[in-house]
Amino acid sequence: MAGMKTATGDYIDSSWELRVFIGEEDPEAESLTLRVTGESHIGGVLLKIVEEIKRKQDWSDHAIWWEQKRQWLLQTHWTLDKYGILADARLFFGPQHRPVILRLPNRRALRLRASFSQPLFQAMVAICRLLSIRHPEELSLLRAPEKEKKKKKEKEPEEEVYDLTKVVLVGGVAPASFRGMPAHFSDSAQTEACYHMLSRPQPPPDPLLLQRLPRPSSLLDKTQLHSRWLDSSRCLMQQGIKAGDTLWLRFKYYSFFDLDPKTDPVRLTQLYEQARWDLLLEEIDCTEEEMMVFAALQYHINKLSQSGEVDEPAGTDSGLDDLDAALSNLEVKLEGSAPTDMLDSLTTIPELKDHLRIFRPRKLTLKGYRQHWVVFKETTLSYYKSQEEAPGDPIQQLNLKGCEVVPDVNVSGQKFCIKLLVPSPEGMSEIYLRCQDEQQYARWMAGCRLASKGRTMADSSYSSEVQAILAFLSLQRTGGGGGGSGNHPQGPDASAEGLNPYGLVAPRFQRKFKAKQLTPRILEAHQNVAQLSLSEAQLRFIQAWQSLPDFGISYVVVRFKGSRKDEILGIANNRLIRIDLSVGDVVKTWRFSNMRQWNVNWDIRQVAIEFDEHINVAFSCVSASCRIVHEYIGGYIFLSTRERARGEELDEDLFLQLTGGHEAF
Amino acid sequence: MHQRGKNDGKACGILNGLFKMGESNEDIEQMFSNLLGEMDLLTQSLGVDILPPPDPKPPRVEFNYSVGFKDLNESLNALEDQDLDALMADLVADISEAEQRTIQAQKETPQKQPQSASLCVPSFSGTASLGYGANVAATSQYDDDLPPPPADPVLDLPLPPPPPGPISQEEEEAQAKADKIKLALEKLKEAKVKKLVVKIHMNDNSSKSLMVDERQLARDVLDNLFEKTHCDCNVDWCLYEIYPELQIERFFEDHENVVEILSDWTRDTENKLLFLEKKEKYAVFKNPQNFYLDNKGKKENKETNEKMNAKNKESLLEESFCGTSVIVPELEGALYLKEDGKKSWKRRYFLLRASGIYYVPKGKTKTSRDLACFIQFENVNIYYGIQCKMKYKAPTDYCFVLKHPQIQKESQYIKYLCCDDARALSQWVTGIRIAKYGKTLYDNYQRATAKAGLASRWTNLGTVNAVPPAPPSTGVKTDPTQANGQLPQATQSMNTALGEDWRHLETTKDKKPDPGLGSHDPGAPRAQPLPKSSLPPPPPPVRRSSDVGGGSPGTPPKAKGAAARFPAPPDDLLPPPPPPPPPVEDDELPPPPPDFNDTPPDFVPPPPPSFAGDLGFPLPPPPPPPPALAPESVRTPPMTVKRPPPPPKRQENPGPPGGGGGEQDFMSDLMKALQKKRGNMS
Repeated sequence: MAGMKTATGDYIDSSWELRVFIGEEDPEAESLTLRVTGESHIGGVLLKIVEEIKRKQDWSDHAIWWEQKRQWLLQTHWTLDKYGILADARLFFGPQHRPVILRLPNRRALRLRASFSQPLFQAMVAICRLLSIRHPEELSLLRAPEKEKKKKKEKEPEEEVYDLTKVVLVGGVAPASFRGMPAHFSDSAQTEACYHMLSRPQPPPDPLLLQRLPRPSSLLDKTQLHSRWLDSSRCLMQQGIKAGDTLWLRFKYYSFFDLDPKTDPVRLTQLYEQARWDLLLEEIDCTEEEMMVFAALQYHINKLSQSGEVDEPAGTDSGLDDLDAALSNLEVKLEGSAPTDMLDSLTTIPELKDHLRIFRPRKLTLKGYRQHWVVFKETTLSYYKSQEEAPGDPIQQLNLKGCEVVPDVNVSGQKFCIKLLVPSPEGMSEIYLRCQDEQQYARWMAGCRLASKGRTMADSSYSSEVQAILAFLSLQRTGGGGGGSGNHPQGPDASAEGLNPYGLVAPRFQRKFKAKQLTPRILEAHQNVAQLSLSEAQLRFIQAWQSLPDFGISYVVVRFKGSRKDEILGIANNRLIRIDLSVGDVVKTWRFSNMRQWNVNWDIRQVAIEFDEHINVAFSCVSASCRIVHEYIGGYIFLSTRERARGEELDEDLFLQLTGGHEAF
Repeated sequence: MHQRGKNDGKACGILNGLFKMGESNEDIEQMFSNLLGEMDLLTQSLGVDILPPPDPKPPRVEFNYSVGFKDLNESLNALEDQDLDALMADLVADISEAEQRTIQAQKETPQKQPQSASLCVPSFSGTASLGYGANVAATSQYDDDLPPPPADPVLDLPLPPPPPGPISQEEEEAQAKADKIKLALEKLKEAKVKKLVVKIHMNDNSSKSLMVDERQLARDVLDNLFEKTHCDCNVDWCLYEIYPELQIERFFEDHENVVEILSDWTRDTENKLLFLEKKEKYAVFKNPQNFYLDNKGKKENKETNEKMNAKNKESLLEESFCGTSVIVPELEGALYLKEDGKKSWKRRYFLLRASGIYYVPKGKTKTSRDLACFIQFENVNIYYGIQCKMKYKAPTDYCFVLKHPQIQKESQYIKYLCCDDARALSQWVTGIRIAKYGKTLYDNYQRATAKAGLASRWTNLGTVNAVPPAPPSTGVKTDPTQANGQLPQATQSMNTALGEDWRHLETTKDKKPDPGLGSHDPGAPRAQPLPKSSLPPPPPPVRRSSDVGGGSPGTPPKAKGAAARFPAPPDDLLPPPPPPPPPVEDDELPPPPPDFNDTPPDFVPPPPPSFAGDLGFPLPPPPPPPPALAPESVRTPPMTVKRPPPPPKRQENPGPPGGGGGEQDFMSDLMKALQKKRGNMS
């Protein structure tokens, strides 16, 4: 190699000295000097460095980083000349994979080794493989916001950081599953815990914390997040990320391909978490009714994940005893049919009979509650003047199927009323049942709820329903009702298995409602989801999230060509939306399906798009770099090509072609 | 889906118009009461055995009634023969089902066995003839359990009716129908499966009566109607309910349960059910751009919308309906809302979201957080309001109405909304349907298109051949005249069984042609000539089947000929009628394949090796018919004498295959579980 000298010590080849720093980019790193020529191959230089260091270690992950050019010298057969490296080049010999802290969609921190030398797209593929999330193309990394860091220091200095840096994945092979999790997680208790963190929904956040977290107050605020996306076509190193930095891992493209509860526990959970935080932090708005459904789903999901019913209750059948299984089977087959099918002849249907006070609001009546003998059988409620008259004709008989059941309860006031809105040919008849105590209330309430869905008290869910109602009442007694915690949200563990509604709704609902107002509404909504399994509930949550009109829109501040004011560009998976910045109104929508081509003028940071019918649009990007906009558009186009090309293989070239800037080539 | 439909081409039936209710004689009543008594006994014993609190009678009073008729009797009379038969088959299925339950439950208690066994005997033949896939297991099981022939001892029960002995054929037939109707009346009361006889009004002011059981969806009923009306089966056909009193109407979605909807009608209702075409039904799938890309009526967009090509439409649909969640069209705008109980209308700004309809409260913006919920869709259906301008002084006639399905009278709980124009109305109604039904709507549409596509091909063929869709129906009609005994029954059971299997096929694969449909159009034309020449006039059943075997493998037309043949022979031969129909169905199917490329895949096996293929295939029909046929055809004369006893039997026959089959499985599951549980406890 290089370094031939004469006796006097003069170099007779055209060799020169190359200084290489060992370690990561650090001005004080130790360095060594090699004698090289322009024809030296990078591979040879590497070899020489390792020899010089004289340390026994696995150097295979190390490579040379050229600081000035912000470039890795990865082509080992290239010569220094070909790279254009001269003696003044500042080269660093360091590992290509370095630890970073990822803040996951569920807000937990996870340390792992990410590739600093491959384009981010490839690095993401590796990360997602490690985390066992399919379809890595949907995710990307964001820089952590600076201010957030400060806050974190003051409040939670000792946050648990899960560590996956020591886990090594065997390349190429699809991770095998072992003990219900990908094999690489089952090595130690620590990694196992990490997998559980990834694949199980987190408990609801502390409402106090929730209130303190920053929330976007305007559309403008929502654009900020999107200025922090990293560039998929360049490596982390090139984007100024250092080892140990914190990055956010998020689903970037709102186009979730082939979501499958069975194969995607981590993906589903993280998606759910992202959706949940989106809603809790008001990144996406929803109506009150929708929020109650979201809250109910969260409540249900928490309950399931805490009770350990995490492992997909696919085996529900084995859990039930045979009879229940057969019955529920029967029920399924008869679904929607009269509840009085052959079930009746085989099982007794429990009925409720008791003295209850009944109130029927009518025009021009001032009568209040009146004591009646009430019989509740199957789905029918009949009431009589007295018990003695029971065998005769009831005063009224109501079939509760399809009715609306509304609790009207005040535990501290010992008021246990059930409001029924029963449909009849004439309209809805309203009737109130007043129970004496919690026990009675729980039994009747559960019966009414089942009946409204056309099921009888023989249904297997009856007793659990009763229990749930009792639990809810006791909750109200200890929590919302008695504590007088009106506007003071309790800590996360105020009620162990219970329901702290403030952790489940966005802060603006915390301000709007008292806990005891929220709880019944959430529980009411819970009725409709109580039967779902964990993954079903998560999926339902995601679907409801996707159904929101504002779902999946990434906002960027832009200035359209010819316009004098800033406007918002919303980018969704199928369209671009021009939005008025001040009012928030949609001005215009363009669909990708009509798009002919788009171009980026990197010099003036302008994106120009041509649609069918010679519609041309051009805008410059204000809040985010035009790279980000460009990549979003290209990314969605790329994702839309997936449908045909089934499977999980990724056409990375196509992705980079669609999203890469000119510097990528 | 359990359903009985596809009754066309059925061999059994009764002479039209022969029915006289008054004729029911004591013997018959005796028989029925016996039968019923036995039922009670069985249920009773069942109750005793299984449940501490014996519940001898079904606790609930079934409220079966007919829709559009004054009374049940009338409605039953209005039913076509096949339907009546089907009804009977169903009812009997219920009985035998109960028996089977008992049998299983009481294997240990032998005294009961004979009774139940005797009752079940016929059902064996029924199931045996079925022999299809899943049913096979069940059949064999029964065979083990029950000695088939014990009939004699117990037969006395069913026998009584026959005694009338030497009656003229006509009388007999009349009586048979009387029997049926009577039994039907009886059974309707305790039938486990709720059934309605429904009068459906056609476009041409005529009406058809149809039996609908509670498991049938609107789609099934439509299919049924397609068969009966020979319409073009396009996707726009729908069942349409009209509330004259409320002046509202709507079409049923294909997945809706018809009986459930009709059960909400009051007994004295003026509501009507129509069978007609409505473009609106699937408009969104034909032109999704009108609903998804409508940019608040901006002109430029409208132009492009018109031009949208099929491929773009498809991708738009896929995007909207095939994702993780369905996309509800963005829709908002000012609508008039009728104020509760008044005839005044208030203009409000409404928005449609997947979770419901919202409005913008006064002084608020239309951001999500400010919206107030107007209504959610869980408990309401959407209707078109008719002439609301007149009735309620609505600002326009483009009204839609939201109400709980059970509400039948004017009520403050019915919400009336009024749009500015027809376009808005259609967008709102469609949008609400999408929000309410989600992907189901798209699935419905795809099923409907599949059906329509198939049908249109059939009809095309039919018209080419200039074939009147007569064959099957004539076959049915002629057959009935002669067929009165058990034979018809057997065939019928097969038919129904086939029908069911078809249904399975239909659902699993794409859409298959209905046996009935198939038989009319294509088969008939060419068939006529061929069969006549080639067929031996009085083909004994066995022979015929062999004939078929020879014919169908050949060229398509030939196969068709075979199919068509069947209807024809019945005319000439009285006795054989029953058997032919079933084979007809078998054979009919094969023929289509050659002609239509799409259909064959499913049915490839049957066509070529018609007979052998059938055997190889788990096709039940072949085996059973021969035995049945042979006796019949041979002893045409004795038939009269013999016939009486069969009626009771026959009822049992169809039972298991028809209605009972599906439930049997889980019933037996249930029984097993119960037994197990009891075992555990003791």
